[in-house]
Amino acid sequence: MSTVQIRDVRKSYGAHPVLHGVDIDIADGEFVILVGPSGCGKSTLLRMVAGLETITGGTISIDGRVVNGVEPKDRDIAMVFQNYALYPQMTVAQNMGFALELAGAGKDEIKRKVDHAAGILGLETLLDRKPAQLSGGQRQRVAMGRAIVRDPKVFLFDEPLSNLDAKLRVKMRAEIKALHHRLKTTIVYVTHDQIEAMTMADKIVVMQGGHIEQIGTPLDLYDHPKNVFVAGFLGSPAMNFLDGVIVGEDGAFLELNGAGRVPLPAGLRCAAGQSVIAGIRPEEIGIADTGGIPAEVLVVEPTGSETHLAVRLGSQEITVVLRSRIALVPGEQVHLSLGTAPLHVFDKETKERLPSFS
Amino acid sequence: MTPTAASPYDNTLQKPQRDWVLVALWATLVLVALIWVAPFVFIIFTSLKSNAAVMASSAFAPPVDPKFANYTGAWDRGRFNTTFFNSVIITVIKVPLGLFLSSMAAYAFAKIPFTGRKMLLLVILFGTMIPFQVMLAPLFTLVNRLHLIDTYPGVILPYLAFGIPYQVFILQSFFRGIPKELSEAARIDGASHFTIFRRIFLPVSLPVLAALLILDFVSTWNEFAMALVLLQDRDMWTLPLGLSAFQGQFSRDYGQLNAAIVMTVLPAAIVYLIFQRYFVSGLTSGAVKG
Repeated sequence: MSTVQIRDVRKSYGAHPVLHGVDIDIADGEFVILVGPSGCGKSTLLRMVAGLETITGGTISIDGRVVNGVEPKDRDIAMVFQNYALYPQMTVAQNMGFALELAGAGKDEIKRKVDHAAGILGLETLLDRKPAQLSGGQRQRVAMGRAIVRDPKVFLFDEPLSNLDAKLRVKMRAEIKALHHRLKTTIVYVTHDQIEAMTMADKIVVMQGGHIEQIGTPLDLYDHPKNVFVAGFLGSPAMNFLDGVIVGEDGAFLELNGAGRVPLPAGLRCAAGQSVIAGIRPEEIGIADTGGIPAEVLVVEPTGSETHLAVRLGSQEITVVLRSRIALVPGEQVHLSLGTAPLHVFDKETKERLPSFS
Repeated sequence: MTPTAASPYDNTLQKPQRDWVLVALWATLVLVALIWVAPFVFIIFTSLKSNAAVMASSAFAPPVDPKFANYTGAWDRGRFNTTFFNSVIITVIKVPLGLFLSSMAAYAFAKIPFTGRKMLLLVILFGTMIPFQVMLAPLFTLVNRLHLIDTYPGVILPYLAFGIPYQVFILQSFFRGIPKELSEAARIDGASHFTIFRRIFLPVSLPVLAALLILDFVSTWNEFAMALVLLQDRDMWTLPLGLSAFQGQFSRDYGQLNAAIVMTVLPAAIVYLIFQRYFVSGLTSGAVKG
């Protein structure tokens, strides 16, 4: 168990910068997920923590010790790779015990620790198998077992679930979370899947283009996204963005482009005439019997538990998620109730969330 | 194919239609196999015939009265005691040593970044492009200056020099194909480069190493031209040199000549049979998501 401090860390390949000064504080036992689109630098950052990439600038400390020049094996970390990286010619037990063997541990100790880790992960019956004889989920578990056996200060996961099918991914998600709950070891986890981030993390770091966009708890980021990128990245289906202009006394209303007018949350720091982007979560929009804003249904997607609608609102297309089943056909007119929905209002120029007075 | 539950309308019991392309392929394979087997049959049959029987019967007629004495005769007259021993010494030292050096060099070229890596690799690969006949005369002068003519090192060193470049070439491209996560995982597990090489890369590369070992064994075992130039003393001769002398000396005794050929070819064939089972591909399957 350990803390990790990342201070103004930079990385460039030649003249091409990939990370532009990143600061993250990871507390002891915290489950931190770095999330962002491909090429945002999240994997590079993780590999720098692991010691597999050199650090161009800044410092990374594990448990208060700066590890910039420390070899991967001396950082007391363990890493789980996206493609598992199991040694193909070794059995599961040998794979899991390899690090201990290299460290000069005795046979009995290796066996005890491997058996212990295998017990945690349910691998007892597979210890004599070769990786080729295992299924994807089992290989993933062996890769985690190899990490657990070393009892490291920090676990590093690099998109460990990307190669699994959807069902298995959900299962492994729960297993990793349970594992963290049990071991209480600090975890740094990289993924591009916002659902993984939302469901597993204590703390999410949203990254884009080598910058950190926002750090916070999953629900904090979901409810108070700092900018349009974070708002759009977290949540599925993604948040709707509508262009509009502030109107009325004290900026009390938002005039949506050709789609009517909605009241703004109180205490927003804005001025009449200001161009903004309004973000509304699809599940916050309802269908009104009377009143509301008229819209045309384009697509109806029943998922069983929910109904997803794509509707045209003025000149813009938005998604609506209804918790009920509803008989609608494309082309039908509906009235949307936006009045009660929490609005996320962003400046159109800076794409940053408008501050409020409170 | 995986067995699936048979549906009531399953027609799998019906004879499948004959695939004529497959039939043609098989026929071609049989034909090619026959062409390759024919000389062996000829050599083995002839090695068991007396000279008179060779002249009287067809080349592919089985020996009526097998004459095993041809083998003992050939062994003595061809001085196989000496040449066989020399060939074994040279091959057994050269082949594993060459493979070991090549694979270490290939690992460095594939996985350890250093300045001038590309240039150095090019220089080594250049070695594969020079026909050795061009080098024979300078090679003789060089080995002579080192006072290594008629010694084992005098022939093993040039063999290494000519064998390593193409092995490095093949192995480094194979090593490059090994996922980098494997060596990274090993680095995190605490392995040094040499440990990664020995414990991860060599086992994973067994098929290609076996292939190279067979090729190198056969070509070293059969090498003639360089041995002819570098080994002048008859006591240092290798098998192919012994064979050539054989033909001049006993050109009329075809039985003994072919017995000598069989004994020369046999070790290479045995090595092939031992190592061909490692040719199975897919040793890396399961390492990473395939």
